[in-house]
Amino acid sequence: MTDEPILTVENLKTQFFTEQGVVRAVDGISFDVYPGEIVGLVGESGAGKSVATSSVMRLVDNPGEIVGGEITYKNKTLVGFERAGDELVPRDEMLTNEEMRTQVRGNEIAIIFQDPMESLNPVYTIGHQLKEFILLNRELDKKAAREEAITMLREVGIPEPEERFDDYPHEFSGGMRQRVLIAMALACQPELIIADEPTTALDVTVEGQILELVKELQEEYGTSFLWVTHDMGVVAEICDRVNVMYLGEIVEQATVDELFYETQHPYTNALLNSIPRPDQTIEELVPIKGVMPEAINPPSGCRFHTRCPDAREVCTEIEPTYSEITTYDGWPHNASCLKHEDVGYDVSEPIENEARKGTEGTEVVQ
Amino acid sequence: MGILRYTVYRLIQAVPVLFGLSVITFLLANSMPGDPVSIMLAETESDPELVAALEAQYGLDRPLHERYVNYMIGLAQGDLGYSLYYNEPVLTKVAERLPVTIMLVASSFVFAIATAIPLGVIAAKNRNQPSDHASRIVALIGVSTPSFWIGLMLIIIFAYQLGLLPSSGMVYPWHSPDDYRFIDSYLGIGSTQVGGITLPWLEGLYYETARHLILPTLALGTLHMATIMRIERSSMIESLHADYVQLARAYGVSERKIMRKHAFRVSQLPIVTIIGLNLTTALGGAVLIEEVFAINGMGRLIITAIQNLDYQLVLGTTLFFGVVFIIGVIITDISYAYIDPRVSYEEDS
Repeated sequence: MTDEPILTVENLKTQFFTEQGVVRAVDGISFDVYPGEIVGLVGESGAGKSVATSSVMRLVDNPGEIVGGEITYKNKTLVGFERAGDELVPRDEMLTNEEMRTQVRGNEIAIIFQDPMESLNPVYTIGHQLKEFILLNRELDKKAAREEAITMLREVGIPEPEERFDDYPHEFSGGMRQRVLIAMALACQPELIIADEPTTALDVTVEGQILELVKELQEEYGTSFLWVTHDMGVVAEICDRVNVMYLGEIVEQATVDELFYETQHPYTNALLNSIPRPDQTIEELVPIKGVMPEAINPPSGCRFHTRCPDAREVCTEIEPTYSEITTYDGWPHNASCLKHEDVGYDVSEPIENEARKGTEGTEVVQ
Repeated sequence: MGILRYTVYRLIQAVPVLFGLSVITFLLANSMPGDPVSIMLAETESDPELVAALEAQYGLDRPLHERYVNYMIGLAQGDLGYSLYYNEPVLTKVAERLPVTIMLVASSFVFAIATAIPLGVIAAKNRNQPSDHASRIVALIGVSTPSFWIGLMLIIIFAYQLGLLPSSGMVYPWHSPDDYRFIDSYLGIGSTQVGGITLPWLEGLYYETARHLILPTLALGTLHMATIMRIERSSMIESLHADYVQLARAYGVSERKIMRKHAFRVSQLPIVTIIGLNLTTALGGAVLIEEVFAINGMGRLIITAIQNLDYQLVLGTTLFFGVVFIIGVIITDISYAYIDPRVSYEEDS
């Protein structure tokens, strides 16, 4: 993959202005997606994964706002700012909302949501909904759009698509609805599909089927995916490269093999230890102790120090730099952990935090 | 076929309800103090023989249970009873008055729905902005002000102070010139002028009916407008945040189309329920409004019947309201199957 990335996100910051204070949901993340790649965005609930994806679509709900950074899709500037005096203002080439709607959403970047039960409009047939989005995003007439919809339904494994075309969403199972949503995304022929935890609401067997389907279709159509999940198992199954998010920041980024076998960040490590792995036999899974702190007042220094099993004094004071640790097969392996920096981590004292407190009085996550 | 079977099933279910209603109404009506014959004979020193004769004529000398059975036998034959006060069959009175009440209730619901749905949508769209707060205040006033008081205020302002609209003397569009031959000139129908042009008699009648309906419609419709508006607003807010609306946005559907189609249709489901339920309470509200605006509808008929201890008229009208209520609920249920594809009466029943 020597091409240019189709999506580049640089130092993206999205904040929510609430009465309690400013929530820094996404706080300066950078990642990219190359053509034909499946890139993972992993983290616990509240890490800012979904806010990151809605920022890419420019669909952040009030009171949220993209306050900084750059998002470039091919040669389009989805988000771009420039300095005007003391303020950051959108640059001229940044697409307007109307341009986002007509030029990007659906036809260039499509999305698949987490809950297939809620993602389809209950009062319209699935055929109607598919056709509507196809007509909106492709230059087809009504008849051709209907045929395309039926073809896509067949493609994603809906039996008897001609008959099912006129069925309502409630007449489909969860797995079938997710297939319909995948058909919807592919039918608009986007180059990038954002999949926001698309298998989380499904049971494991159906999840397996959907992942297989996506892998097949991805090879067939060459579409890139930005795959949001909290499940390291899914990451291992489907992703080429992975970004691990914690509290609005990306803490580690690597190819999937590197991430699993040469883990550089204690948080990634903790995530991996909390799931069963076929290549490791252990007595008990180790959960990540404590809960993610509020993004209104993130902890000082390294944001993970309150729950990190390796945290030391220095971690509470110095903010780690997100930097390249190694390179593997031409791909960088980035992480932000003081262990890899020359700031006196080795001589610093371990600190008492949620990870070392034992289970008493702490909430166990995952 | 499913819907038909369901309807029949629901109607059969309604029979015991109506039976219970008849027993309760019959007992309540008969436990009212006084007796209808002495009211009929008014203040005159009543002749005991005349009283006895009248009581025998109307079956009032029979024991209570016998009178009930007789009434029910008549009812089963389609006879709603005989009004002592009007000296006419109950059915005739109901047939005469029901269209009036239906006209009033229908017009106030057209007003309520036509204003509440757009206002609710606007409030949902501009959530927590001035227009939303304004609609909240209007709704609060609407639900907490008694309809008769609104009616009286409207009369004071628009009828007496400004003299714009009539406060009484309702006319009915199904009437013919004959019905007004004595009061034609008083009402001015036939010489109604709009913009310098004298309207033909029938158009004049329609025009006058509309003018007479405005104030009662506002008085009766305000409460329903307020409740429907609040439900519309919250329902719309909910669907505007639903995943399928987010999905539509993510596929480039315009906000306008989302408002009109994607979010709108789903959010009308609770509106249908609330309209169905409100229609039935509106019948009760119409009783007061008819009294305030001196409209001779079902409401005034019931009040007259109660005041004059006209047992059979009380029974007949109450049962009639009961039937209307039950039919209203069934229609609400059935309309659900048409607008919400998830509701189906195919399997159950």
